[in-house]
Amino acid sequence: MSQIPDRESVKAAEARTVGHAQTTERFDVPVIVDEKRCISGCHICIDSCPVDCLSVSPATGKAHMKFDECWYCLACEIDCPKDAITVKIPFLVR
Amino acid sequence: MTEEGTEIEVDVVVVGGGSAGSTAAIRAQKELPLGRVLLLEKAHVKRSGAIAIGMDGLNNAVIPGHTTPEQYVKEITMANDGIVDQRAVLAYAERSFDMIQQLDGWGVKFQKTGTGDFDVKKVHHNGSYVLPMPEGYDLKKILTRMIRRSGVRVSNRVMATRLLTGADGRIAGVLGVNVRDGSFQVIRAKAVILCCGASGRLGLPASGYLFGTYENPSNAGDGYSLAYHAGAALTGIECFQINPLIKDYNGPACAYVTGPLGGHTVNAQGHRFIESDYWSGQMMLEFYRELHSVNGPVYLKLTHLAPETITEIERVLHRTERPSRGRFHAGRGHGYAADLVEMHISEIGLCSGHSASGVAVNERGETTVPGLYAAGDMACVPHNYLLGAMTYGEICAESALGYLQAGPGAPAGGGEEAYELPEQIDAERTRLRRPMERGAGVPPHQYEYKVRRLVNDYLQPPKTANRMNHGLALFERAQDELDEVSATTPHELMRFVEAGFIRDCAEMAARASLYRTESRWGLYHHRLDYPEMDDTSWFVHVDLYKDAAGRMAARKRPVAPYVVPLGDEERRSYYRIRVPGTAPAGSGAVSPPSSPPSSPPSEVSP
Repeated sequence: MSQIPDRESVKAAEARTVGHAQTTERFDVPVIVDEKRCISGCHICIDSCPVDCLSVSPATGKAHMKFDECWYCLACEIDCPKDAITVKIPFLVR
Repeated sequence: MTEEGTEIEVDVVVVGGGSAGSTAAIRAQKELPLGRVLLLEKAHVKRSGAIAIGMDGLNNAVIPGHTTPEQYVKEITMANDGIVDQRAVLAYAERSFDMIQQLDGWGVKFQKTGTGDFDVKKVHHNGSYVLPMPEGYDLKKILTRMIRRSGVRVSNRVMATRLLTGADGRIAGVLGVNVRDGSFQVIRAKAVILCCGASGRLGLPASGYLFGTYENPSNAGDGYSLAYHAGAALTGIECFQINPLIKDYNGPACAYVTGPLGGHTVNAQGHRFIESDYWSGQMMLEFYRELHSVNGPVYLKLTHLAPETITEIERVLHRTERPSRGRFHAGRGHGYAADLVEMHISEIGLCSGHSASGVAVNERGETTVPGLYAAGDMACVPHNYLLGAMTYGEICAESALGYLQAGPGAPAGGGEEAYELPEQIDAERTRLRRPMERGAGVPPHQYEYKVRRLVNDYLQPPKTANRMNHGLALFERAQDELDEVSATTPHELMRFVEAGFIRDCAEMAARASLYRTESRWGLYHHRLDYPEMDDTSWFVHVDLYKDAAGRMAARKRPVAPYVVPLGDEERRSYYRIRVPGTAPAGSGAVSPPSSPPSSPPSEVSP
């Protein structure tokens, strides 16, 4: 197919030294925040999360799951004073 | 990472605010001025560690009238195939009841009988050590309240990344990073107590979900790696943690809750095949054999129980330790009353709370590095569980206080400047800055996925040298691949550092398992190429350490003379786990040694 007989070895060497490229991916995440009940300025769930996967969304000022890293331990859900959080079992697990 | 950071100096640093770290910090603070004890927590102490959502019981309560410290030491010696430092197990057992009474005084609610006695249950093969805590969901809240009352200085969201050691080998402090703002942390201290939990993010869960682990996924083996790089020996690493768990959910079923109420493990025909559901390597081997036979899969059976018993079980299992079990079962359309719960074998981890893989410690919680102590799941006191973690937290604090009182003194050939250690600090600052400056690169989660997938491919028992050597070569390659990983936030930097810890633990697991050329601890170290237990050559600890050239090396260490002798029959009792006459055909089993020594041999050949 290629005119260069050892094209694969040339590209193999190139593949070992070429840099990195990124893409974005969508994830279905298990922590669901009811933004109507969530209080702006409250950090209780964010403090509770043992893996620090929650954060304040800059767009809404409400808590959201920023990283798909959930132990489905329910700490955020149990500790939320407004019952604004529902934790689902992550899709890969449920 | 921000350039500015903080540099502070204290007497004692406790790394990790879970079960062991809480009691260690509280105990140390009792004797020291406020501000001189620092508790570092990667998460937040109110919800950190293995018991973030509480615990449903104590698995190893040594309560007068139910058992004795000596009986407990015997049980653990048997469960761990003789490779135990009995003095360390005994030190726990002798203080176990004091810790229970202290917790009782702190407001922890234990199950009691009508007459007010502790309601101890039998789950182990021989003795009775299980003390239910049906309302144990607030255990971490109680520990957090006691930390606050004690006045311990707490730094939440600060992760230890390396330890500082002086030229004389003594511990000199902790280096770390704030995982929220990325600031570099230098904490100088004469004593450090590591309480970092298990290496629970080692194997990859069968679901493929990185954080769907049995252990709290924050426990990524930080303590194993920190201790190793500081020059401490690790031991029993080849005695993996492998647990029987609810399939896919990957949490406990849990035998210690359901067993005393009549639940038990059955095969696909609905028949019992193990006599004891206590988690031992020998039990796990029978579980493995059944699972991979025509009788598999394996289930937890509760369907024969009365409705009120099922309700009682759900009341505990759906509120404590892993309460989301309830929504998992509901999502599958299953319930305990009508359905068997499918069980499987977890991915591997390192943990001395459940098995015996950890940093080598003696009965004072001392590691092999002066000034460095370790407690809890990461410290090798076999089958030490929650109560052992809390007890050893106190033991370590007392040892550290004694060490401070004795005055470590100035290092030979130098004054305090010998502990300034600018080279170690600069090297670590550079190591942490590099992934943040790399720009495009491999995200930490992709790196982690690959290492953990390789752990499954090459280290999940049964083990062979051929497979493990392939794995080891790939884990060495993964050390170089860390240079391709980039971090775009302090959160990703935390995951990058953890990825390095996970890789270190994978190499430890491979090297220790290759070194011990026999089978022992049932499934935990089941080698197809050395299927027999060999007490002549291997009635020893295997210690890992960093050698003079900076390479990971292994050596034998004699088992200390027993303080509680065992008879031959007692030694073999954990090999009578299987219900007689139920062995599936054609499954390889490890047989117990024909004449096990009742005490360690006096001489060990190198």
